Amino acid sequence: MVFDTPRGGRYQALRDLDLTVEAGEFCAVVGPTGCGKSTTLTLVAGLERPTTGVALVDGHAVRGIGSEVGFVFQNDAVFPWKSVLDNVLAGPRFRSRPARQARAEALDWLRRVGLAGFEDRYPHQLSGGMRKRVALAQSLINEPRILLMDEPFSALDAQTRTIMSDELLSLWEMTKPAVVFVTHDLEEAIALADKVVVLTAGPATVKDVFTVDLPRPRTVQDIRFDDSFVALYQSVWQSLRDEVNIAYARTTGSETTPRGVS
Amino acid sequence: MSEIGQVEAPAGAGGIDPPRRRNRYGTVVWAGRIAVLVVVLGGWELSARVGIVNPFFYGQPSQVVGQISTWVRDGTAQGSLWAQVGVTMEETILGWVIGVVLGVVFGIALGRIRYLSDVLGPYIKIMNSIPRIVLGSIFIVAFGLGLTSKVLLAIVLVFFAVFFNAFQGTREVDRNLMANARILGASSWRVTREVVLPSAFTWIIASLHVSFGFALIGAIVGEFLGAQQGLGLLIRTAQGTFNANGVLAAMVIVAVVALIAEGLITALEKKILRWRPPALSGPEL
Repeated sequence: MVFDTPRGGRYQALRDLDLTVEAGEFCAVVGPTGCGKSTTLTLVAGLERPTTGVALVDGHAVRGIGSEVGFVFQNDAVFPWKSVLDNVLAGPRFRSRPARQARAEALDWLRRVGLAGFEDRYPHQLSGGMRKRVALAQSLINEPRILLMDEPFSALDAQTRTIMSDELLSLWEMTKPAVVFVTHDLEEAIALADKVVVLTAGPATVKDVFTVDLPRPRTVQDIRFDDSFVALYQSVWQSLRDEVNIAYARTTGSETTPRGVS
Repeated sequence: MSEIGQVEAPAGAGGIDPPRRRNRYGTVVWAGRIAVLVVVLGGWELSARVGIVNPFFYGQPSQVVGQISTWVRDGTAQGSLWAQVGVTMEETILGWVIGVVLGVVFGIALGRIRYLSDVLGPYIKIMNSIPRIVLGSIFIVAFGLGLTSKVLLAIVLVFFAVFFNAFQGTREVDRNLMANARILGASSWRVTREVVLPSAFTWIIASLHVSFGFALIGAIVGEFLGAQQGLGLLIRTAQGTFNANGVLAAMVIVAVVALIAEGLITALEKKILRWRPPALSGPEL
C-alpha cells in the first residue's frame, strides 16, 4: 500500500502484509505508532484500495465496501444529530430493512449494551463510554461477519476501558464475528484476543503471531494477574519492543533515511 | 434577542444567591440599554429643536413617529401601509426561500461532486465578484415593474451567500462520519442526505441570518429601481419630495420587519440544531 504524500513523495505504509483471520476468531493487532495498522483495516473494509496486492474476504478480493463488514472507529463516529435510537437504526435503515422489525432489533441491541432508557438522548448528552456502546450497537445490529475495530477504546479512561472490554467480549460471544482489533495496549490485546499479531515499524509486515490460549469466558480485570497472561505479555513485549524503538528513533530524527520512503 | 448576560454565577459567590444576582444584573443591563436609547434619540431630537442639526435634511425622531402614525392612520400615497409591507415581504420571502434552496442544492452538489466544482467553480467566482445589485436594472427592463424582477434580484443576492456556506460546510464534513455511514450500508445519496446535509447545516444556518437581510435589500432596491407598490417605492417617493422623515420612517418599518424575521430564523435554528450541545448553538446576540 503506497500513499502519495503532500510533498509529492510516496510513502509505503504496508509491505507484504500477510494476515489471516479465521471466522469467529478474535485477532488483536499491535504495532508501533504509524506502522499502518489503521491502513490495514481500511483496506479490509474497502474504504481504500491497495496499490498492489489484494485484501481477501472469504477468499474474494475486496472491491468496495462489503455488506458483511462492521467498523468501530477510534474517534466518535456516531451521528451527533441523530438520537441514540436513530443512530442504532441507521444501519438497518440504510439497508432498507422493514421499519418495525428494525426498531425492535435496535431496542434489543440498546438493551444488550446497557442503554435501555437512553433512546431519545443525543450523543452529546452521553459520556464517552456510553457513546462507544452506541457505536458498538450501531455496528453489531448489522450482524457483520467481520468486525474491524480501530483502537476503539483508546479515548476512554482506564476503568471505563476495562468495563468496555468485558462488554465487548460478551457481545462478541453472542454473534461471534471475526474481529480484527487494532490497539496500542498490549494488555488489552492479550486479554481480549485469541491471537495477537505484532507488526513491524512501517512499512508494516507481520513480525510475530502469538496464540492466546487463556480460557474463555474471561474477565478482563482479573485475567491480568494470571501467570500465563504475564508470561505471554513478556514474550509479546519482547517482540514489540524493538519495533517500538525503531519507530521512536524515526520520530526523533536519529535515523535520517526511514525505511518506508522510496 | 435573548439575554447577553446569561452567565451562571458560581454557587454561593459573594453571599448572594445566584437567581437574585442574575436578576439584578439583568436590571442593570436593561437600564443601560434604555439609557443608550434615550441619549441617542433624545440628543438627536434636542439638537433638531435647538437648531444644531437641520431637521429638513436629517429628520427628527418625533416627526418620524408622526410620519409612521400618519401612514398607519391614513395610509400612504400608494395605498395602505400594510399593503406596502405585504408586497415587500412577499418579494423578500419568495426570493429568500428560492435563493436558499438553490444555494443549498448547488453548494452541496458542487461540494460533493468534484467534476462539477472544477467546471463551474470559475464561473461562480466571476459572478460573485461582479456587483450583482446592478442586475436589478436588467431585471426591471426584462420583467417589468411587478413581483418577478424583485424576487429575481433577491434570489441573486441570497444565492451566493448561501452557496458558499453550503459548499464549505460540505467540504468540512467529518470524514469519519461519512466512512461510518458508508460501512453501515448507506448509498451515496443517503450519505448526502443523512450525513452531509445535517452536518453542513451548521454552516448553512449561519448564512440564513445574513441572507435574509440580503433578500430584503434585493426587494427594496428592486422597488427603488422601479415599482408600483412596496416599501422601496415609499422611500423613493419620500426622497423625491425631500421628506427625510419619510425615508427614516420607512427605514424603521423595514428594521422592525427584519428583526421579527431574525427572531423567527433563530427559533428555526434552535429547532433544527437541537442536537448540538448548548454551549455551541450560536452566539447569544
